[in-house]
Amino acid sequence: MPLGEQMRRVTPLVLVVALALALLVPLLGSAYYLHVFALVFTNVILAASLRPSLTCGQLNIGHSGFMCVGAYTSALLAKHWAVPFELSLLSGAVLAAVVGLAIGYPSLRLRGVYFAMVTVAFVEVIRLIAAIWVPLTRGNSGLSGIPKPNLLGMTLTTKTSQYYLVVALTVITLLVLWKLERSRLGLIWKSIGMADHLAQSLGVNIAAYTLLAFTIGCFFAGVAGAFYAHFIRFLFPPEFGFLVATNILVYNFVGGRGHFVGPIVGAIFLSLLSEPFRGSAYETIFFSIAMLVTILFLPGGLITLPGKLSGFRWRRAAAAPTPSPAG
Amino acid sequence: MTSALLVQSAIIGVSIGSIYILMALGLTLMFGMMHIINFAHGAVYMLGAFVIYYVFFQSGVPYFAAFLLAMILLGAFGYVVERGIYRPIKGGIEPTLVALLALTTFLQAAGYPVFGQLDKHVPPVFAGTRNILGVTVSVERLMIIPIAGALVVGLYLFINKTRLGGAMRAIEQDKEAAALQGVNVDRINGLAFGVGFALAAAAGALMAPIFKLDPMMGEQPLLKAFIIIILGGLGSIPGAILGGLMLGLIDSIVATALGAEPAFLLSFVFIILVLLFKPTGLFGYAAR
Repeated sequence: MPLGEQMRRVTPLVLVVALALALLVPLLGSAYYLHVFALVFTNVILAASLRPSLTCGQLNIGHSGFMCVGAYTSALLAKHWAVPFELSLLSGAVLAAVVGLAIGYPSLRLRGVYFAMVTVAFVEVIRLIAAIWVPLTRGNSGLSGIPKPNLLGMTLTTKTSQYYLVVALTVITLLVLWKLERSRLGLIWKSIGMADHLAQSLGVNIAAYTLLAFTIGCFFAGVAGAFYAHFIRFLFPPEFGFLVATNILVYNFVGGRGHFVGPIVGAIFLSLLSEPFRGSAYETIFFSIAMLVTILFLPGGLITLPGKLSGFRWRRAAAAPTPSPAG
Repeated sequence: MTSALLVQSAIIGVSIGSIYILMALGLTLMFGMMHIINFAHGAVYMLGAFVIYYVFFQSGVPYFAAFLLAMILLGAFGYVVERGIYRPIKGGIEPTLVALLALTTFLQAAGYPVFGQLDKHVPPVFAGTRNILGVTVSVERLMIIPIAGALVVGLYLFINKTRLGGAMRAIEQDKEAAALQGVNVDRINGLAFGVGFALAAAAGALMAPIFKLDPMMGEQPLLKAFIIIILGGLGSIPGAILGGLMLGLIDSIVATALGAEPAFLLSFVFIILVLLFKPTGLFGYAAR
């Protein structure tokens, strides 16, 4: 596949340029931009962490629930027991992964739609737990007074330092996920997503590998949640609802599922474009229209746009050849 | 809990269960034929309720006329969605699910600027209360049971006794074979979308005089319908009916005893258990 080859050579370059640009953002000298871009990078982590289970052909519509677990865990540990940020972030991520394991184990053994429905209900469950467990989470009054992140005992008080922290977390997340995707494991995931019966007939334990993909995704959603908690320093259960989960899915589809950079492109593009109406109904309207237009007219996502524009198709297959379950 | 309270919450449970059944039937019908889950079902429920608000309450059209209009309008909308979203995607399950998800969030979000930020209320259609088995229940809630029951019977007769229903069953069994026998699969799928949407609209229209109306009101019934079809087995119509009644009763009785949130958490734990031990649903329906 010469075009896939081309993509492979271009990708590191794109990522390095993106990283260089990201490191230049603080030079704009505006706390507003730092804030916006820190949230953009949080979204990048979330979008990229959904990719493994999407690659396996599982639609997870509850990713924000795992972000919520990571956020509350890290926030509560740091607030009540003064646990250092490194440790609280890790605990949040691990707990998110454990919850993911518990939810994924029963529901991932079945066909995709069961899993999709369970994840939708799961978001609501997590949101409800956060809302009614008032003694612990303060419920719908919101959890405030979360300490700022610290590293090696030093508190990161400035927006700039917190911004560099999220850039670092994003780079680590992306490197790990990229390595996994390029490894044998990534190949197995792809084979499951493309033709699960065929993969199974070759001796691939579909349920176990899909569960692993999902759990790894939950871990990094927990990382994103933990950073978010210490960055915004206020947690409010409705902020982790179904809409946020849908948005994470939208980043992947609009960016394109055919390549690793898809969710990254999607998250950056959509978070920046929707910034003017963040928090209003128009943000959702914008997201859903972007989603419908992409699925109907650009099924491979934004990453296939340059290829289409320059007259040659990068990867028609990027439109994810879902096996037909008929029969 | 006193026995009177128990009887009362049981009656209310059956009435709420009827609403859930109307929601779940469309979902399970569409799943059986197309292997998709219509995430937009909750938004259609919401639109059905708003048709009642505008046509019955604001314009003074008789309730049953407004009710039928809601079913017809949203049934037609279902056909349009099949034509405009399901058919162009050509059976890709994942893109279809995501497109329906996008349609849902669009309808919900657009509801705020279109219908306004404030909750809406529809005045009671059937006023008064009735005494049943020594407890008092509002006629409004009681009336849901025969109306929903009539719709369920109508659907049953339609699917089992008419040629179009036969075509639906044929597609459910084997799409290719149905097409070879001359069934216009696209058109019948469109019909299934229409029927499913019309039933969801009916559910919303029945609930309009009871609950407050807001663009997100369809979320809870949608989640309940998910739980029901997982309990009953995806694609199973009897499973949806039994599951709906069960969930309605559990919901109403547990909610009366413990509160609405624990009732929802409990039903979620319940589906996880069902998935662990009886993944084809409580009534053992083998999903194809």
